[in-house]
Amino acid sequence: MNIENTKAQMRKGILEYCILGILSSGDSYTSDIIEELKKAKLIVVEGTLYPLLTRLKNAGLLKYRWEESNSGPPRKYYSLSENGLSFQRDLKQTWEGLSEAVNHLTTPK
Amino acid sequence: MNKTININLSGIVFHLDEQAYEAFKTYLSQVKQALSGQEGGTEIIADIEARIAELFSQRLESFKRSVVITSDIFFIIDTLGRPEEFKDDVEPEHTDPETPKTQRRFFRNSEEQFIGGVASGIGAYFGIETVWIRIIFLVLLFFTGIGLITYIILWAAIPEAKTTAQKLQMKGEPVNLSNIEKSVKEELDGVKDRFSKFRDDNKGSAGKINSAAHRFFSFILNIIEGIARFIFKFLSIILIIIASFIGFFVFVGLLGMVGSSWNINITGFDFISYGGHILGLNGAEAILGSGLLLNLIRIGTLLTLLFPIFGLIVLLAKSFKRPIPNAKRLTLVGGISFIIGLILIIYSGITVASSFDVKATEMETIALKGHQFDLQADLLEDSDPFLFEIDDDKLRIENVKLNVKKSFDSIVTLVIKHQAYGKNNSDARNRAQRFDYPIDQTGSILSLNEYFTVPKDALYRGQELKATLYLPVGSIIFLDPSVENLIDNVENIYDMADREMIGHTWEMRNTGLTCLDCQDVQKYYNEDEVSEAEDAIEKVNEELKESENNIEQEIERLEQKLRSLKYK
Repeated sequence: MNIENTKAQMRKGILEYCILGILSSGDSYTSDIIEELKKAKLIVVEGTLYPLLTRLKNAGLLKYRWEESNSGPPRKYYSLSENGLSFQRDLKQTWEGLSEAVNHLTTPK
Repeated sequence: MNKTININLSGIVFHLDEQAYEAFKTYLSQVKQALSGQEGGTEIIADIEARIAELFSQRLESFKRSVVITSDIFFIIDTLGRPEEFKDDVEPEHTDPETPKTQRRFFRNSEEQFIGGVASGIGAYFGIETVWIRIIFLVLLFFTGIGLITYIILWAAIPEAKTTAQKLQMKGEPVNLSNIEKSVKEELDGVKDRFSKFRDDNKGSAGKINSAAHRFFSFILNIIEGIARFIFKFLSIILIIIASFIGFFVFVGLLGMVGSSWNINITGFDFISYGGHILGLNGAEAILGSGLLLNLIRIGTLLTLLFPIFGLIVLLAKSFKRPIPNAKRLTLVGGISFIIGLILIIYSGITVASSFDVKATEMETIALKGHQFDLQADLLEDSDPFLFEIDDDKLRIENVKLNVKKSFDSIVTLVIKHQAYGKNNSDARNRAQRFDYPIDQTGSILSLNEYFTVPKDALYRGQELKATLYLPVGSIIFLDPSVENLIDNVENIYDMADREMIGHTWEMRNTGLTCLDCQDVQKYYNEDEVSEAEDAIEKVNEELKESENNIEQEIERLEQKLRSLKYK
């Protein structure tokens, strides 16, 4: 069993939930999302995120609008769709349950 | 002056210098390749291009430049990540666990060549340690000779991996930017080393390089060097094989010594220790005693064994690609203990050998009654083939030789000679006196043991017992079949072998031992001698015939002469 693989799998599963979490508090430009994730040390490079955002958008969880930028081409601003919002709430519950369970199991008594 | 290339990213034009353009092109095409086949791939690429355009604009503005240079590309790669990091493989069941498979291709590996790099090329192709391929070649070479032919054919047929791309293909690594970069870096380091070495070697001899004569000369030198290298390698392979054979036998011998000195019996390895026996010896204890020497040998053999065992462990670990961190220290410890062990063994060996220095003989004469004997041997129940064996506090030695000779007086005597070795005269004599060899005569039955015993602490020092039975003329003796292994070259008038003498009754006559009940004594004559004699007789007959012919011719000639004289 490869520890790196397990770590990557864990991180990827949580990544989706975190993106939805960031967007639930307001619209964001891609690099803002990246900034926050980098700060949380969840990702290292931006490349990982583009395919993920596109996939979530195609699944109907995200929507975007174009906005002009003074440096460079127009930017895509992402926000949660109706579906995305309920999906995020669902995930939040699951996550809280899970994290409680994990803490309960792994913290020494 | 530098050329720039214009590109269009998300509707914005950028000027890239040539190097930056090449690097960027490679990067982008690899990103595209990584994302191809993925849902929404084109859209993702458009997003990425837009992001790159944004980053370029920001950098050009903050550095006050109008041309994109290589460092900007590296910044992009650092920020966005390497192509393989773009993959969104959340569904692992759909993605191949291995990195994209690249078709491996057969090349000779000139970087790790021993002769032509064939074995290491095959090893790289199949992802096996090269050493196993080499072993297979050697086995094939020595058992069938196919190895050599195969090697030469492969050498000629397989191209050498020359370019970086070929070297990567040889190892089955995908030819992409990061791999090429890695491999080129390794190569550059190697070139640097070689170059500085070359510079050191050739100080002062520069300038000649270009002359044609020099080129021709170096070409010849290259060929000679190649041939010499081949011969040298071949010889060293043979040496390695011989050394490993010797090493193997030494190893088995050492195991045997360990087995016999500790009295270990390993099931399935009986041939090594044989229940504590080795080479017909019962335990090293009989030779070494139970004191210092035995312990020296015990420690010595164990210490000596550490080296090959450690070596084997390190080798195995290496070949399974799990190198032991302290391999060098382990080998060093093994090597030192090997030398110490060897010194202990040699010291013990010399000590033992020096106790075989002087030979002493003690003689004992026993008078026997009667003139008719039935000679029997008291044989051991277990007929193991060993020379000696420890029996409680005694050492039983099976080294008895019996002879029967003519006595010059009228008394029957048994003369027993005890022989033993020792480190000096008194030691040997002392040992020779400590023989225990009971003789039993009941009526006409004379019973001798096939072994004698000495005290255990006397140790085995080549003890031997020679018994000679002196029979006066007229005595009769029956040799029971049990004495077969006891009697040793007993003289008789027929020159019969010992094993044929047993089971018969013999009388001592003036001429020697004569058989009284042998049916056909003729058949006991040595058949070789008979045929030799027959050959000799035939030869004599032939010679006789020849001279007969000669005489007849001579007579005829003389008669003719006589007739011619008469007519005159």
